[in-house]
Amino acid sequence: MSLSAKLKYKFMKDYGAPALMSLQGLKRRRSRPTPSAFGPPLESNARLKEILTRHYYLSRFVPGVKKVAWVTSGAPVELLRVFDFYTIYPENHSALVGAKKQGAEYCGIAEGDSFSQDLCSYARIDLGHMLSGKSPAGKLPKPDLLFCSNNICQTVLYWYKAISQELDIPLIHFDAPFVSDRQSEADIRYMAQQLQDMIPILEQVSGNVFYMSDLEAVLKRSQDSSRTWGNILKAMQAKPAPMTIFDAFGHLAPIVSLRGLPVAQDYYNILAEEIDDRVSKGIGAIRDEKYRLIWDNIAIWYKVRYLATFFAERKMNFVTATYTNAWAETIDHLNIKDPWNSMARTYGQIILNNNLKHRLGLMRRMIDDFSVDGMVMHSTRSCKPYSVGQYDLRKAISTSLNLPSVIIDADIADERVWSEQQIQTRLEAFCESLEDTNRG
Amino acid sequence: MYPFDAIVYLQRDDHYKRSDLEQRAQIDAMSINDTKDKVLKIPDRSDYLRDQRRSGQEIMGVLPALYPRELLWAFNILPAEIWDPPGEILLANVHLQASICPIVKRGLEFILKSPEIINSGYLFPHTCDSLQNLGTQVKDLIGVPVPVYTFYNPKGEFNKASKRYYSEILFNLQKTLEKSHGLLSQNQLKAACELGHKIDIRRQMLHAALMEDRFDLSNREYFQLIRAAEYMQGQDYLDLLNHVEINEQIGVAPRARLLVTGILPPGDDILNFLDESRVRIVSEDLLSGSRRIPIVEMDQPDDPMEYLVERFFLLPPCSTKAGGLDKRLQYLKKLIAKSRCHGVLFNTVKFCEPELFDQHFLIKSMKVMGLPVLNLETELQPGLSGQEKTRIEAFLEMLDEGVPV
Repeated sequence: MSLSAKLKYKFMKDYGAPALMSLQGLKRRRSRPTPSAFGPPLESNARLKEILTRHYYLSRFVPGVKKVAWVTSGAPVELLRVFDFYTIYPENHSALVGAKKQGAEYCGIAEGDSFSQDLCSYARIDLGHMLSGKSPAGKLPKPDLLFCSNNICQTVLYWYKAISQELDIPLIHFDAPFVSDRQSEADIRYMAQQLQDMIPILEQVSGNVFYMSDLEAVLKRSQDSSRTWGNILKAMQAKPAPMTIFDAFGHLAPIVSLRGLPVAQDYYNILAEEIDDRVSKGIGAIRDEKYRLIWDNIAIWYKVRYLATFFAERKMNFVTATYTNAWAETIDHLNIKDPWNSMARTYGQIILNNNLKHRLGLMRRMIDDFSVDGMVMHSTRSCKPYSVGQYDLRKAISTSLNLPSVIIDADIADERVWSEQQIQTRLEAFCESLEDTNRG
Repeated sequence: MYPFDAIVYLQRDDHYKRSDLEQRAQIDAMSINDTKDKVLKIPDRSDYLRDQRRSGQEIMGVLPALYPRELLWAFNILPAEIWDPPGEILLANVHLQASICPIVKRGLEFILKSPEIINSGYLFPHTCDSLQNLGTQVKDLIGVPVPVYTFYNPKGEFNKASKRYYSEILFNLQKTLEKSHGLLSQNQLKAACELGHKIDIRRQMLHAALMEDRFDLSNREYFQLIRAAEYMQGQDYLDLLNHVEINEQIGVAPRARLLVTGILPPGDDILNFLDESRVRIVSEDLLSGSRRIPIVEMDQPDDPMEYLVERFFLLPPCSTKAGGLDKRLQYLKKLIAKSRCHGVLFNTVKFCEPELFDQHFLIKSMKVMGLPVLNLETELQPGLSGQEKTRIEAFLEMLDEGVPV
């Protein structure tokens, strides 16, 4: 670890990043007004932006100070926190690229290097970033370690294998057996053993020593943050709901990419307080919430604003989503006193690693708990674990609950897949059917 | 001279102990058949399975790809593998998106037709995201009149934990099957492993002979033979393999020698076209083929469960197991060297993510080695399109110009 790099990092952390935040604050005051269909925006948005900007900004000065790990969104990052890795989430970065409507450009770079267009767009964007060095976040530090788990998909493993090969850096993989029925004792033992076997490698790469007390402290923070996040989502049961799921897609970022750090917990405490305040005052995310909807699958990052406005103008609010719930759903399995086995239970049973019977039950409960009137399913080319089975899930839910629903075919971050006219027609038909059902 | 300088061999360089394999195979073959036919009679898949069913055989539909077939045999279950059933995809389109791979779609189409030959259930080994979800979709949402089983294959770089885990899930599968098929006899399992062992040895030997031009099967016949393993009883299949005559002499040199890699072999029309063009596929790295045969000759099964665990971890590198890319490349380099192939044909199933990720690195590496590569994408539809024909012809012309001496 070089002294000059360390000093530079400390200077940027203490002075550079705050200065940048101040500049951003000035810029924000000149931002465009909120469309009239929406209620007042969340004040926490500003803090969220600060946290994320700071995280990406500081990452530029990290090489030589801390070891950098690129991590998948479902990986048990708590273990890395113990070794003080600076973590970057390529999925989060790809979503950012998608939200900036630059997905096609980055995907095109990867495709130009002969990666198939049929691959996940998060992966193609990340590979496009690696090949070009481009990033809307300025610059991402190169990883010293890759850490992935196939509990969200097998794709991340193939993708990280490709990076590992390209950059010649170690890849730690947490193999999470898919829960076809229920987790077996063998599954738990296997995952718990893998976690423990990672320690010597992490010690070697990071140069730091493992202490169980550190892991316990990180797990506690992680659990607290996830529970707070879960409570924030639960608060959307209120009528009117204090935020939309499109807000939640953004506020999800800290629980995904800063989980286990104090900054995430602090942030969710602030957000929870604001949400509770809005609930107590009856402030809704949209001005006149008439219909309440559930969203299934990952966000369509380049169309979040379009979709939010489309539905808000029709007095429809997304009050829950299987996607945002994923970082809160299994956290009660975590037991600080039994870290290895309980991490196996927590990370092994997340929605995308669980069978469709489980997902159907979960969706039914959410529809009931959040007083949902209709369902929108995003079928995405990029995510097979989320999309394969959706047609039958829709049928099962629509039939048994008599719930209007629609499936739209798009992609999470590659805007070339979006067909506006076709999707708008489908959504308008859905809205009509929802209104008819409720009139009837 | 090969078109690249350095060939790095795998650590276990005893991949094919040919003399041992030949000797053992000859003994097996002698006991089965003294008068070999020149013409290989491979039973038709549907006819064979219907006959089996009529005779009261328990048949389980098995989706791709890696599963302990010996365990099923020991329960007297015949695995009928479902890779690419022919016909139009109609029913499955109601359940699956357009961007789902045709193996998954054809598999579901087959299941939705409720085929009478499948009377013992379906087994979904864990292969990829799409097949993973298809298993739960069929079991939990669509519903079928027979039981649905799943089997997780460990992923990534293997270690002690994966070995122990595989052993435990094998045992769990055994216990699950015992509920419907009665207690498993260890003698039966041992006998099944011994049969599987013989098949593996014969398959290894045939692959070695293929690489050395020592039998007379056409490309199409060879893959029909390999794929008969997907539906035949173990003993019938071993008999069939033993009917294949391996020549002492090396055959006539073909126009060009190809290695094919991917999930499935090219369709019959492409294979016929290659036959007509005097092009020989001299080695294969297919998930439906040699990736399911151990990389080295295994010892005779003593403890059958230990044998099955060992066998799984001795299978060649495969995209669906998600091991290191470099290991896979080294393995392919070895096949390339042994088979003296002039080019590599990537037979790519549309939307197959595991293969598509690996392919990028492999194709680039092969090009660096100076090895011509042809990448054909298939949706498993029959026929040979004009475009495919033109691309193959252009590839062959390129090989004609650069075939090494």
